[in-house]
Amino acid sequence: MSIFTPTNQIRLTNVAVVRMKKGGKRFEIACYKNKVMSWRSGAEKDLDEVLQTNTVFVNVSKGQVAKKDDLSSAFGTEDLTEICKQILAKGELQVSDRERQSQLEQMFRDIATIVAEKCVNPETKRPYTVSLIERAMKDIHFSVKANKSTKQQALEVIKQLQQSIQIQRAHMRLRFVLPARDGKRLKEKLRPLIKTVENEDFDEQLEMVCLIDPGCFRDIDELIRCETKGKGTLERFSTLSEDV
Amino acid sequence: MGHTSLEKIIALQKKTPHIRNLCILAHVDHGKTTLADCLVASNGIISSRLAGKLRYLDSREDEQIRGITMKSSAISLHYTTGNEYLINLIDSPGHVDFSSEVSTAVRLCDGAIVVVDAVEGVCPQTQVVLRQAWLENIRPVLVINKIDRLIVELKLTSQEAYTHLQKILEQVNAVTGSLFTSKVLEERAEKDAEAQSSCTENGSGDQVYDWSAGLEETDDSDLYFSPDRGNVVFASAIDGWGFSIHQFAEMYSQKMGIRSSVLLKTLWGDFYLNAKAKKIMKGAQSKGKKPLFVQLVLDNIWSMYDAVVTRRDKEKVEKMVTSLGLKVMSRDLRHSDPKVLLSAICSQWLPVSQAVLSMVCEKLPSPAEISAERVEKLMSVGARRFDSLPEQTQELKKAFLDCSADETAPVIVFVSKMFAVDSKALPQNKQRPLTQEEIAQRREQARQRHAERQAANQSAESPGSADTGGMEVTGDQQLLEALSVKTAVEEDNKEHFVAFARVYSGVLRKGQKVFVLGPKYDPSLALRALPEGCSAADVLPSVPHMACCTVDSLYLLMGRELEELDEVPTGNVLGIGGMEEFILKSATISTSPSCPPFTPLNFEATPIVRVAVEPKHPSEMPKLVRGMRLLNQADPCAEVLIQETGEHVLVTAGEVHLQRCLDDLRERFAKIEISASKPIIPFRETVIRPPKVDMVNEDMGKQQKVAVIHQVKEEQTKYPEGVQVDSTGLVTLTTPNKMATVGVRAIPLPEEVTRLLEDNVELIRTMEQFSLFAWEDKTLDINQKILENIQEFKVKLESNLQGRKWRGAVERIWAFGPRRCGPNILLNSVEGYRRPSVWQCLEREKETEKAEIRDFDNSIASGFQLATLSGPMCEEPLMGVCFSVETWDMKLSAPLAQQDSIDEDSQTAEPNIDNQNESSDTHETNASSASSNRSRSGAEAAGSSVDCYGPFSGQLIAAMKEACRYAFQAKPQRLMAAMYTCEIMATAEVLGRVYAVLSKREGRVLQEEMKEGTDMFIIKAVLPVAESFGFADEIRKRTSGLASPQLVFSHWEVISSDPFWVPTTEEEYLHFGEKADSSNQALKYMNAVRRRKGLYVEEKIVEHAEKQRTLSKNK
Repeated sequence: MSIFTPTNQIRLTNVAVVRMKKGGKRFEIACYKNKVMSWRSGAEKDLDEVLQTNTVFVNVSKGQVAKKDDLSSAFGTEDLTEICKQILAKGELQVSDRERQSQLEQMFRDIATIVAEKCVNPETKRPYTVSLIERAMKDIHFSVKANKSTKQQALEVIKQLQQSIQIQRAHMRLRFVLPARDGKRLKEKLRPLIKTVENEDFDEQLEMVCLIDPGCFRDIDELIRCETKGKGTLERFSTLSEDV
Repeated sequence: MGHTSLEKIIALQKKTPHIRNLCILAHVDHGKTTLADCLVASNGIISSRLAGKLRYLDSREDEQIRGITMKSSAISLHYTTGNEYLINLIDSPGHVDFSSEVSTAVRLCDGAIVVVDAVEGVCPQTQVVLRQAWLENIRPVLVINKIDRLIVELKLTSQEAYTHLQKILEQVNAVTGSLFTSKVLEERAEKDAEAQSSCTENGSGDQVYDWSAGLEETDDSDLYFSPDRGNVVFASAIDGWGFSIHQFAEMYSQKMGIRSSVLLKTLWGDFYLNAKAKKIMKGAQSKGKKPLFVQLVLDNIWSMYDAVVTRRDKEKVEKMVTSLGLKVMSRDLRHSDPKVLLSAICSQWLPVSQAVLSMVCEKLPSPAEISAERVEKLMSVGARRFDSLPEQTQELKKAFLDCSADETAPVIVFVSKMFAVDSKALPQNKQRPLTQEEIAQRREQARQRHAERQAANQSAESPGSADTGGMEVTGDQQLLEALSVKTAVEEDNKEHFVAFARVYSGVLRKGQKVFVLGPKYDPSLALRALPEGCSAADVLPSVPHMACCTVDSLYLLMGRELEELDEVPTGNVLGIGGMEEFILKSATISTSPSCPPFTPLNFEATPIVRVAVEPKHPSEMPKLVRGMRLLNQADPCAEVLIQETGEHVLVTAGEVHLQRCLDDLRERFAKIEISASKPIIPFRETVIRPPKVDMVNEDMGKQQKVAVIHQVKEEQTKYPEGVQVDSTGLVTLTTPNKMATVGVRAIPLPEEVTRLLEDNVELIRTMEQFSLFAWEDKTLDINQKILENIQEFKVKLESNLQGRKWRGAVERIWAFGPRRCGPNILLNSVEGYRRPSVWQCLEREKETEKAEIRDFDNSIASGFQLATLSGPMCEEPLMGVCFSVETWDMKLSAPLAQQDSIDEDSQTAEPNIDNQNESSDTHETNASSASSNRSRSGAEAAGSSVDCYGPFSGQLIAAMKEACRYAFQAKPQRLMAAMYTCEIMATAEVLGRVYAVLSKREGRVLQEEMKEGTDMFIIKAVLPVAESFGFADEIRKRTSGLASPQLVFSHWEVISSDPFWVPTTEEEYLHFGEKADSSNQALKYMNAVRRRKGLYVEEKIVEHAEKQRTLSKNK
């Protein structure tokens, strides 16, 4: 059991510190928790709801106020409110619990929405609902990484989900026109990448409309570009699942 | 009364005139199932002691728990009064949610027992079921139930009870009367309309006004219920007694020496017995005398209750028992609960089953007496008249009327619903009780195994065998149980569907080949397709909505049990097995292809409660889908839809019905955990003209903007660099590689235009297809009719797009969106750019001047499509927005243009698509050679310049999309909500509460009018779909079921409030304060959608900084 007395311990409560280094000096301001992110996103418009006080410190927890000279040399102004706004906008901060939580939740839902948009249930050819995807993501214990883009994570999720539920990327409809010379040769190479051929027309040039897995688009694009030396053309109709 | 054997029933089934098909109808909790119990008990199927407590026909577990019936179930009973009768009784649910089950029951019957609670009188559902019986043309009889409550609960005197009963009878008759009058008036109106049309044809001027309205001419006396007609029974099913006037008339005619026919007439009504004159006199009420009914009937019952229940006077009871000549077991006499004694006495004195069944046999028609009117009604589907049916079909009417069980008569069967049965319940798979030897054998086996195991155990651990002796017996039992359980589990637990049906003509046999006709089957079509005199056994060409199948098995429905039959003659209610693949919900089965499908059941309640259903574990989706399909088949009223969004939507008639459907899904059909949630609600986004007045109805122009701070901040955040917005809302945007610039303006479309575009989606799609073919130098043949329609559509558009702003706009339409056929327009206002119009299919014949298509035309259109598919507010599609492209500059170096134009090859290579009619051959070769030329030159360029921003066409699409979005945001944006029109039928007394519910849910009343000839009001209102979840339930609860809404999607409506509104003017500041935290409906919807989609919601994580918990958790 440790003894602690209020006198020898200074504790800041409900304070989030935003720091910024400028002109070789460190400046800090004292803000309320869970408010700085709202200010940055524009949801909070009242500065007084964000700042505990508009004094600029060198060290908030020690209560050392920044010197006026340092401020004016670093920021070029003596208006404390203006300086505070600058620090708020550009300084670094410790993201507080609820901010992080809401951010992750939002990303989680965003990922689920992306997955739902991109995928279909192969049995019904209809998309899954977002809430179902969310539940499936929870089932496979997917954790959101805050520093990766949602789209990137969504693509990862799709791969993982395929092991637990029946899910498939919605097909992409492509139309390509290839010169006759390359047509035959290329067709053999393209065959494994294509899911279904909807329409094929081979007279002076090979014209094909087909469905492909969106993951193969890059490969097909590359293949056609290289093999035909730019003479083949590729056009995508739509990727949305309702066309499938 | 012993158990009636199966053979007996089979024999009785053949005597059509002695069959009665009837159902029991009533409001919820008026005692239908209890009454059915009494009737079932009379046949010895259940003990008469348990009658009224067991609720034999409520075979589902949740029915027993909730105490309400949820499905209609049938049972065949045997009744003897001189003649032997077979009574097919169908018990129906009374709860409003299950009124579809009532419809299925009523259809199969010839008569109905309407039960009314003596205390509660006529309730909403009573009216509904009376109407249903009326619509199906079946004859009702009345049972006034729960008379014991008048004595025990309300403590009425016999005199008061008499007046009370009279009132109830009047109420019931009033309902019947109003049904009758409305029918007569309707017929009258029809006749008038016909007369009028004939009048105008003949040109005769003089009209005769007839005020009598035909009511007097039509005789309605046989419709009404009256005890002296013998169609009313007074009963207390729970105590097991019931009587009709007949019984008492007979009784007293012997005692008093008055002719029973006289007594019959006078026993009910304003008559009294003059003891001195020994005469029955009229006018009991005016003379203050006891009416005959009270004196002779009610008083006896009252004194009985008094003696048995209230005072428990043993001597008096014994005296009564002996005087009535009854035998009561001493066990009952000594029983502490007086109710036991009471029912023991009553069930012998005035057995309810006797009263009801004799009334039924006398008053209700047999299947053979089916009226011609009813037959015609059954046979003529929808608005089709009977005369318009093919001749062979009309001949079938005779078969209906004959109702003969001959070999030659055509088989006609109607299936009103399918119900699921556990395979265990099927007679084929039923477990037979084990014989004594078998049991012994099994026990022996079990014992051996047990001994073996014990030996093994003992060898493992020798000590501690002291208590195994005691264990042995129980272990043995457990083993036996386990064995029987195992056999049960081994049975294939697949659901079987049994069709609930009735034979109208002929004899249905096992193994017979029959036609199954769906509800949409048309006999005239089939007759043409099929050879004359064919039967279901032949190989036939397929006809829509018709299938051939073999009757697998026939069942006699005995409540929860089924008995297998070999054949069912006409007029009987039966179950047919093995039909699940041919019948969805209802069907007609016949041996003759000329048989018409029966008129669809008229459901009183349409399904309105919508929920989205999902499995708890996503991997169980296929099971859910299968389960929902089964549910759809098993429930006549539930609907199952799969939305475009992938939601599985279940539509049910009400909350209780929903609960049952979910339980069914969980436990029977899908056998998985599921969750039901609010369905996804769609919205649309649009722009409007800048409003002239602010939120407090002040003129906008004159006031100064006070809240400049808000304004400035928003301006900064809204538009990133590279986007220029001028004051008129023109947005100019340049692609990242600085090659192209587009200028776009968003303009709201007039409402009529939006509606026009919505209505003509198909036409637009055809036009789009035409243009697509035109790109590729092919032609698409469109028939003349459609061309005319397109022309008309164009003219309408032109007439609606009037004014300076819209001059020539129709000709300049570039595309429709989203998905190329939506209610948004892309307008080509680029100076000096003429492109072929979307109307080119109309101008095929005309030689139009050549219009060129610029490179990347398609990219602009694609950008527009993407922008309209998901708007900036909450990524919902746009609606009623016109994007006008005002500038489009390209600063392309030639090779780059060509390199990228490869992507657009198919379009750009064929510039002269309009001239497709002339010399298409030569043209095509030209075009293709040109394209190959280009491709080659493009290929050379490809190596030289590679754009770091990706292909240029893609950049342009993105730029266009962004430009549209900013242009949209530059205008006042609004959300559009889907609206239901809602029709509510309500009685006058609950009108106020209906309004309260409507206004609470943002509904708006459009009109309210009284329904002719009734006291019902019809209210028409619109209600946002977003507010409709639980609406039907709330309105029913608040109005105690007297108002029932019908919701149908009608249109999209702009929500007038601005989701981004903040107070700006001085007036608004005064009124709303600086923060304006009063609720904003549009903002609420928008944020809900954004939150669902995981988009950024402009919301503070904590509202008040100071009001946070300041200490961290561990200190």
